[in-house]
Parts: sequence; C-alpha cells; structure tokens
Amino acid sequence: MTSIDLWGGMDALTNWLMDDVLGALFNWLGLHGLADFLMSDTLGTVIMLLLIGIFVFIVGFLVDITMIWQERKMLGRLMDRRGTMVGPLGYFQNIADGLKTFLKETIIPENADEGVFNLVPVLYIGTSVLLLGTLPLSTQWYMSNSELGVLLTFAIFCIAPFVILLGGWASNNKYTLIGGMRAAAQIISYEIPLFLAVVSVIILTGSMNYGDIVAWQQANVWLGIPLIIGFIVFFIGIIAEAERVPFDLPEAEAELVEGWGTEYGGFRFGLMMLTDYFRGYAGCAVVVLLFLGGWDGPGFIPEEIWFLLKAFIVFAVMIWVRGALPRVRTDQILSIGWKRLLPLAAINVFIAIALKALGVF
Amino acid sequence: MAEAIRSNKQRSKELGLTGFILKPLALTLKQTLKSTVHKPTTVLYPWEKLVLPDVYRGRPGLRFDKCIGCGVCMRICPNRCIDMMEVDDLPKEGVETPKKVKRPRVNVGRCMMCGYCAEYCPTDAMIVTPEYELASFTRGALIYDPYQLQYDGVPGNEVHILEVLPAELHTGAAPRPALENKDLPSLEDSKCIGCTKCAKACPVDAVEMKEMGVNEKGRPIKRPVFDNDKCVSCENCVEVCPKSALCMKEVQ
Amino acid sequence: MAKMWINMGPQHPMTHGLWNLRIEVDGETVTNSEPVIGYLHRGWEKMVEDRTYPQIIPMADRLCYGSSYTWSHVYCLAVEDLMELEVPERAKYIRVIADELQRIASHLMWLAAIGPDLGNLTIFLYAMRERELFMDLFQSLCGARMTYNYTRIGGVRNDTTPEWERDLVRTLDFFEKRMVEYEDLVDRNVVFRMRMEGLAPLSAADAINLGVTGPSLRGSGVDFDVRQDDPYEVYENLDWHPCVQPDCDVYARYRVRMDEMRMSVQIIRDALKKMPKGPVRVKPPRYAPEGTGMARMEDPRGESLMYVIGDGTEKPFRLKVRSPFFVTLSAAPVMVNGCKVADVPSIMGMIDVCMGETDR
Repeated sequence: MTSIDLWGGMDALTNWLMDDVLGALFNWLGLHGLADFLMSDTLGTVIMLLLIGIFVFIVGFLVDITMIWQERKMLGRLMDRRGTMVGPLGYFQNIADGLKTFLKETIIPENADEGVFNLVPVLYIGTSVLLLGTLPLSTQWYMSNSELGVLLTFAIFCIAPFVILLGGWASNNKYTLIGGMRAAAQIISYEIPLFLAVVSVIILTGSMNYGDIVAWQQANVWLGIPLIIGFIVFFIGIIAEAERVPFDLPEAEAELVEGWGTEYGGFRFGLMMLTDYFRGYAGCAVVVLLFLGGWDGPGFIPEEIWFLLKAFIVFAVMIWVRGALPRVRTDQILSIGWKRLLPLAAINVFIAIALKALGVF
Repeated sequence: MAEAIRSNKQRSKELGLTGFILKPLALTLKQTLKSTVHKPTTVLYPWEKLVLPDVYRGRPGLRFDKCIGCGVCMRICPNRCIDMMEVDDLPKEGVETPKKVKRPRVNVGRCMMCGYCAEYCPTDAMIVTPEYELASFTRGALIYDPYQLQYDGVPGNEVHILEVLPAELHTGAAPRPALENKDLPSLEDSKCIGCTKCAKACPVDAVEMKEMGVNEKGRPIKRPVFDNDKCVSCENCVEVCPKSALCMKEVQ
Repeated sequence: MAKMWINMGPQHPMTHGLWNLRIEVDGETVTNSEPVIGYLHRGWEKMVEDRTYPQIIPMADRLCYGSSYTWSHVYCLAVEDLMELEVPERAKYIRVIADELQRIASHLMWLAAIGPDLGNLTIFLYAMRERELFMDLFQSLCGARMTYNYTRIGGVRNDTTPEWERDLVRTLDFFEKRMVEYEDLVDRNVVFRMRMEGLAPLSAADAINLGVTGPSLRGSGVDFDVRQDDPYEVYENLDWHPCVQPDCDVYARYRVRMDEMRMSVQIIRDALKKMPKGPVRVKPPRYAPEGTGMARMEDPRGESLMYVIGDGTEKPFRLKVRSPFFVTLSAAPVMVNGCKVADVPSIMGMIDVCMGETDR
C-alpha cells in the first residue's frame, strides 16, 4: 500500500525552511539569537501544524470545487442540457462565479441583529471547514487522529443547524425565520437514525478511530455489505445532514425564496454555497470511511486517490438522487425519520449485535 | 366513459410502491448516459442556431421596387408601428434626380411580428424575413427606414391570402387571392364636389377624373371614375375625401 | 410562535407571473389566505375597442403566453358569431388540431412548472424539451413559435402542407413514448406522490359553487367539458371523451392534465383522418353588424369566454373576456387553508397560473 506521508513530509519541509533557509540566513547575518529561536522545536511544531492545516484545506478546497463542477456538469447531463461552459469542460465556471460574488455589495438588512447576522456566516463556514480536519484521507494523511474521531466529526457536523436557526432569526425576515425553524425541526428527525447507524459500525469494529475502522474493514469486509440497511439509512441521513435535495428544507427555493440564506448576498452567499459543498464532501467522506472501506483498494494506486475516487462516486449518487427526486415536506421528513428510518436503524443495530455475538466477525 | 374514470386510489394500488424511487432513478441514469454519449439537446445559441422555415415571421422586409406606397400595411398594423415616409426612389438609368415616393418606415421596436403587413400587401412588396436578432443600443436605431427595411427574400417569405367569399362557400369554388374579390370604393354622387383629391391619392392611378357636363356656372363637373382592375382596395381615396362622398362597397 | 402574514409574491418563485398570495401562517400551517391580483393589468379590453376586428387577433394571442392560440380562437369564434359567418369545414378541423396542439404545449409548460414547485428541475427540462417539438410544429405551420396569429375571422391564415401533417404524425408518435417517461418520473416516484396525494381537497360542490372550470373541476369528479357540453367547431364529430378523476386532490388534477395530453393526441389523430379538402378561409365582412356575439371554449386552464358587442363599424363597441384562471383563483383560499407552507407552490402550480389572461 502506497500513501503519502503528510506528517513526515511537512516535518521535512519545516526543517528545511526553518533550519536550512531561514536559520542559515540569520546565522549568516549574525543574528544568532533569532536563528536559534527559529530553529527551536516548539516553533517548528507550530509551523508544521500550520502547514498541515493549509495543505489539508487546499486539498479539501480543490475537491470541493471539483465537486461543484461535478454536480453542475452531471446534473446538466442528467437533465439533457450542457451544464457549465466556461473553460475546459466548464471547470472554470466556479472561479468565474466566485469572482462575480466577490464583486457584489454586502447588504445588511436594516432591522437585522447586525452582530449575530455577521457572526453566522463565520460560524457556518468555520465549523464546516473544520470538518476537513477530522477526516483522514489515508493511513498517513490526516490532521487529527483522535481515538474519538467519529464522534468529533458528528459533533462538528451538528453545529450548523443551530447556526442556521440563529441566522434565520437574526435576518429579520419571515422566510429566513421559517427556514431556520425547519433546520431545527429537521435535525431531530434524522440525527437519531444517523447515530444508530454509526453505533452499529462502532459495535462491529470496536473503535471510534477512523484508522481502526478502515483497518478492520481491510481485514474483514466493507461494512456496507453486512450492514446494508444501516448503510442506506446512513446515506439518507447524510443527505439530510448535508442539506441536499430531497431534504434541503431550510433553503426550499420554491416556497421560501432562498430559505434561511435569503438575506445573505454577495460574497457571503458565494462562500455559503461553497460551504454547502464542503459539507457534502464531508458527508461523502464519512460514508466512504464508515461503510465503503475508506482507502481500501488495490495497491497500485495511492490510498488518497482511492479515497477521493470513492468520495466522488458517492457524491455522484447524491447528484443522481437530486436529479430524480423532488423535495419532501417538513412533516414528511419527520415521519420518514421517526417512522421509517428509526426502526430500520434499530434493526440494523440488532444485526450488528447479532453478528458480533455470534462471532461472525 | 365509466372505465375512463379511474380513481387515484385505484391507480395508487396498481402502481403500489413499485421500487419506491427506482423507476425515476433508472430513467435519469439512462438519460445521463444518453446525453453523455450523444450531445445534449441544448442548442448553443450564439454559435449554433435553429433552422428556420421560410415562413418564419421575423422583422418585416420590403421589396422596394414592388412597393406602390398604398399604405395598406400602415392601416392594418395593430401596433401602428408603420408610417409612410417620402424617400428618393431607387436610382434608375437615365434619371438624374430620382423622384420622391412614399414607402413604409417600420419602428421595429414596437413591431410584434404578426405578419399582417406582408399578408395584406396587395403587391407582395412587404414580406416576412427570418431576421430576428434586432437588438440595438438606441431606440432610434430600431426605426427602420425603407432602405434599411429592404430585403430580397425567397418565395416562401411572401404571405398570400387565399380565400373564398361566404356566398360561394358551398359551391365548391377554389380559393382565390384576396385581390380578386376585393372591396371597391363607391361614390355618392350628390356629395362629391369634384376636388380631384382621390385621384391624386390613388397609388395605382385607378381613379380618373372625368367631366360629366357643366354646372350652372359653366364650370365643368368632374367626377371620379374607378378602374376596378387596377384598384388595390387601399382606401386612400376614402380617407382623403373631404366630403365623405366615398365609401368601400363590400363584395358579398 | 404567533400567527403572521407572509406575502408570497409579487416577486416570488411560487408565482408564475406577477401576483401575490398573502398567507397567514401558524408555524408551518396556513390558516388564512388572500390572493391579490392586478399587477399585470394592461387595459386589454379597453385597448381593443380602438382596433379593427382583424387587428385584435394578434392582441388576443398575447392574453396568455402559455396558450396563445386558444385565445385568438375564442375571439374569432365570438366575432364569427357576431357576423354570422360560416367557416369552411377544413378550417374547423385545422383549428381543432391547432387547439389540441396548443393544449399539449400548454400542459407541457404546466408540467414543467410543477417540477421546480415541488423541488425537482429534471421534469422541467424534460417537459420543455418536448414542448419545443410542438413549438417547431407551430413554427413551420404559421411562422411563429409562441404568438401564432394563426386563426382568422372566417377560417385560418394558411392551409397545412402534406409535409407538415407527416411531421405532426411523427411528433405525436414520439411524444406518446415520452409521456411514459414523465409518468415514470412522477407517478412511479413515491416522493412525488407523497407530495400530491390527498392534498388540498376541493369537493365537487365547492368547485361548482366557486365557478372553477377546466382540469381543476374535472379533478373533482365533475364531468364538465365545454368541448362536450357546448360543442364548438367539430368536436362532436370526433372520437373522444372528457378526462375525469373523482379524487378531488392535487394528484387528481395532475392526472386529469396528463390524461388530457393523451386525449389530445387521440383527437388530433382522429381529426387528421376525418379532415376534408377545401378552402380554409372565408372573406369576412368589413363592418360587423349591430348586435352581440358570444363564444366559449375549453382553454387548457378552463372555460374561456368572449362576448363582443358590434355597433356597425369596423371596431368592436365592447369586448368582455371571461378568464378561466381569474375565476379559479377564487378557489385558492379554500384549497390553501389548512395545508403546509411547502404545499402552497404545488397547489397553486397544479391549477396552472397564467396572469396575462387574469389581469388582462
């Protein structure tokens, strides 16, 4: 198995930058105290962590932009139209759109709660980007390798609905208020089946660490096969978690204009659109990690590529579902969550317990 | 009739929950593959254009040499976007100073492309053209003078009226061009003052002022005589008559 | 949360056109509603009093962007009634064919519009794709894609060609295959059915009392179709029946329109078979007699009616339009009250909004 050693690479890069370039430069200038400080281990660790964060973000950002392109192009083909057209295969449309939103004026409604109104995009975008830090791409490419990795991901995932509620309330608009309330109503309906599906994974693998979960799947079988019910429940839940059609109730554009984000314009709108796809990517990544074997695959391709390839395929299925289905109603998502998904998730947990107890795995 | 009314509940029962959502998913996947292998149906407009039939009604076009300046198009236009303007005639050999003629000028910005001007034109001088890209930077540029309006056209661009008279509907008569059963102007003799305005207004010289004896003062009495073959039923004479002595007599 | 009024419109994705549905919501439930119209009023009825009879035909086209042909048709029927003019037999058949083509095109546009209303754009593009075929047919018939200006007082503008009839038959064959795709996408989709079944019940009594006509009325189980009950042109000679659904809900209205598209295909096929040869246009009188003329017909949206008073000149003295959606809109509060906010677009989309004819 080949994979890219992120930490080792960054360590080497930091050492080279600090010791061989900057340290040597200041030593040559005669500033030995500064050179010693630059070459100290503490500063080196901080710089290395920063570099890792930047690298993880850049990769996530590129994946994110590619996913937007993938969605636009694939949805276009699905609907018998062309999709984006700017640049090679329409790839540069995102950049053009980003530039356009960047040039727009920032408008704050007159009676909005200005502090909260300005804070909400920061929280929404920040928490969603933070998700990237919790997701490993391979055995060696990760930012945090916590023992509670799965819990951490979902803890961060769940902040957004409350931020949405806050933003909808602060905007002083009836549409945004309804959109925010819907986000709050939606979260209680899909979170519980979602967690029950995760619980079945944890029961079987006995760990909350992504690395261990994937290692277990490499040793045994991809969890999507024995836990097929849980996989489906989890996939539906993660579509709702990422707020995509058919569960994009907080921003139902047919009845609520743009839902909770109606009053956010300009670059905030652009960044929030980008953030929706960060969340989509994070959702796909969790699906791949928990149920589709993570970076498991034949070794001639690096593990990171396997992982991203699977994530893109899962996202393609999400796009496909979006193309085929309309939006469900607020009361219907509650009934789907409580009456359909929750029993299924419970059955799935029993299956996991049975498999564990019978010693199949 | 009874079997036509089929309840939704019945239909729901028949459909059942067949695959929940599998059918639409299969359909969209098929479409995705189809439009990936072949091109999507979208037409990339500025680069590709749809093929237009000859009868397509874009902006009106004018065949300058055929026009007689009768003003039928001006009168029929529902938006009143046509008016008649005096312009120099087309240059001809042996004519130094071209004479002034009346030709239609169209405000394309108000035109709704109904094609009435082409349909009612007695000489097929007004035609429909397949030109539909008419945007301009000023409103003034949208007022097309007769020279801008010129368009040669193909045979399909002409619009003909082929009709029968109500009286001969059941006689099996073949439809004829509208000019063959046109309405003709008729004179109310007692109102006429012999001013010759109708003769001057006639675009096809179908009105001739003839002397019908003399009045009590010894002056000649002039009365218009209409050449029914030449007449194009344009109503110019009716319009200019100062004493309303003329009216259109309908063909039945 | 206290009750609050929300303006759904005039600039809102739900409103196809320019109107305003004020709804009072209690949380997500609509408790009261009030349609506000008049944003698109252009004084059409007054405007046509200053136009001659043939000049009004292209203006009648512009009453409704979705089904322009039927409006010029009903206008011509009314004026022919006033002038007591007989229309050639072939022209009647061509008018029926054009009428049904327009019905299909209009229903396809409605099908396209309900997609985004329910949150799915795919059906929008599929339906618009097939609508293009019917636009093309009209284009090669009379030269325009949307405002046809095809019917005339005393007939139609021009005769059909054999090539056009061949294209028509081919298009209909192709379209019937596509109809199956729409039904796969909508009827066999459990989410679409969840959104539509049992929603916004409008009982037959309510529908009749409120003057609802067209597919919304037939969706309530009332077998009323102007084509059947007051036949105009040649509908009595053709082999067809009105499409009725007894369930009174949104899904019934959807099914009525889908069945009507199939029925239109059947009508066109039958009319093509029975169409005689002959002239297509009669020279209309220049001056209408004094008196009144009235015509009603089955618009894709319901019963449209025009009433024209002639005063012996070449311009009408008065022209009154009965717009189907204007009347159907009065049933909106009955249907919308009690449903969820998310259902408002699907309910209003299902009665096929066209503001051009409503505000006139």
